Amino acid sequence: MSDGNGFEPKIIYFLCSWCGSGGAETAAAHHLQYPENVIPSRVNCTGALPAVHIVRPLIEGADGVAISGCHPGDCHYNDGNFRARRRVALVKNILNTLGLESDRVWFRYVAHGEGQRFVDTAAEFNDHIKKLGPNPLKTRSDT
Amino acid sequence: MSDKGASLPAAQGLETALVGWLKETLQKEIVDALLVPVKVPADDSFAYLLVQNPAVLDRASPLPPVMPIQGGKVISRLTMGGNGNLRIAAVVRPCEARAAIELTKLKQAYLDNLLLITIDCPGVLPLSDYLADPAAGATRFAEAAAQGDRDPMRPVCQICDHFSLRQAPAADLHVGTLGCPEGTVVFVPGSPKGEKVLEEMGMALDAALDDWAGQVDELAQAQTERRQQAHAELGQTIAGADKLLGVFSTCINCHNCQRACPICYCRQCYFESAALKLPPENYMARAELKGALRFSPDTLLFHIGRATHMVLSCVSCGACEDACPMDIPVAQMFSLLADRSQQEMNYVAGESLADVLPLVDYQMDELHHMEQPYVEIYKQEVQDA
Repeated sequence: MSDGNGFEPKIIYFLCSWCGSGGAETAAAHHLQYPENVIPSRVNCTGALPAVHIVRPLIEGADGVAISGCHPGDCHYNDGNFRARRRVALVKNILNTLGLESDRVWFRYVAHGEGQRFVDTAAEFNDHIKKLGPNPLKTRSDT
Repeated sequence: MSDKGASLPAAQGLETALVGWLKETLQKEIVDALLVPVKVPADDSFAYLLVQNPAVLDRASPLPPVMPIQGGKVISRLTMGGNGNLRIAAVVRPCEARAAIELTKLKQAYLDNLLLITIDCPGVLPLSDYLADPAAGATRFAEAAAQGDRDPMRPVCQICDHFSLRQAPAADLHVGTLGCPEGTVVFVPGSPKGEKVLEEMGMALDAALDDWAGQVDELAQAQTERRQQAHAELGQTIAGADKLLGVFSTCINCHNCQRACPICYCRQCYFESAALKLPPENYMARAELKGALRFSPDTLLFHIGRATHMVLSCVSCGACEDACPMDIPVAQMFSLLADRSQQEMNYVAGESLADVLPLVDYQMDELHHMEQPYVEIYKQEVQDA
């Protein structure tokens, strides 16, 4: 999925166990395709995803990090997605203040049955990152 | 906060008057012990002493020119095991009181039997400046404090706008110096606990606070403007990968900033844990990707990661910058990050015990600009060949 200029972004897509990865399963059941350079990674709950795990890939070679959990009111643990939203807000705020392109982090709800929405998010984020270009931190050896 | 205070004569200066008053609280058994900065025997620094013998107070300095150890950390160390049954009065700077409040919310300190006393803070000198010549430093501090000149103080003290009880209502009892008639200071009770102590000391709440409040608010407004301007300038000098890595290029990974930070209370810091000590293959892979890998690795991860852990409770006390041997402006950066992120969460660190920590709390209807809006059936722009 290169953009013709040879840039194929590396994207980490954190999915919660209950909704996000369910969306990926539904997409598979419907044979929906998403860009191969998007690497899904399952976490128990987006509310349990440490902020450091959003920052670390961005320093160590990823061009973007997407996060998908349950819709509001649908969280398996009642409030994990609300907590995740606060944590994402914190990380994006810090990245923004430091001038590190907070747009490389996306947070979007994907329900278990929303296979199409999962595939769309992966594809849309992929295109979005291609427009942003490579993450300057990933080629820096002095991090 | 009450609208009346209690006046205290201070013809010999603030410190002498306050030390005398503190001695009296011990002698009258209004408190059982005092936690107060005392000049060390070598005369070149100050340390918090838990004082039970009033004679020790002769060397006490309630408003020392430096902050070698953050008082919030001291209070946490003292009360970590629980409230205890001794009544202790702690004389700290406003930022130290705010750190104590944050640590209490983090269950690292217990304030029930502690009386927090703060003083209108003129700032403190950079530790290294003071240690170069303690006697000259003390004079420089006294002169600057008397004139309200913050330029010799630490960079975060220069832009501090939470230097008094009105902006940082954390203390039980506050000593106001600004706007007071020559030779007096004023006690401002910040809580019923503080009011009770004044009552027990036989001090009537009869002094008007208008002059003090007016001066404090005026200075706070000027300081807030100074802070915003400094932050805007700092934001320009650190923004972007190039500039940011330039700032951290001299970091020697000593993690002193983390050890000196009152908010960083974790027994095992994630950034020093086995989670970041990886087999050589991992480093090889990262070096291959980046072309080379700086050792020790994870410098930027440490600083940004630590920010994600503590900025929401950061009180901009400047302890990290004092502790940095390489003069990296960490405290200025964290004060900027703290202001921006706390603003977003509608939270002010150390303001009140009643405010819930932002990452413990949530609202259902908030931060919707963080949710990426969904476009129905997204059309991929670049199709597979």
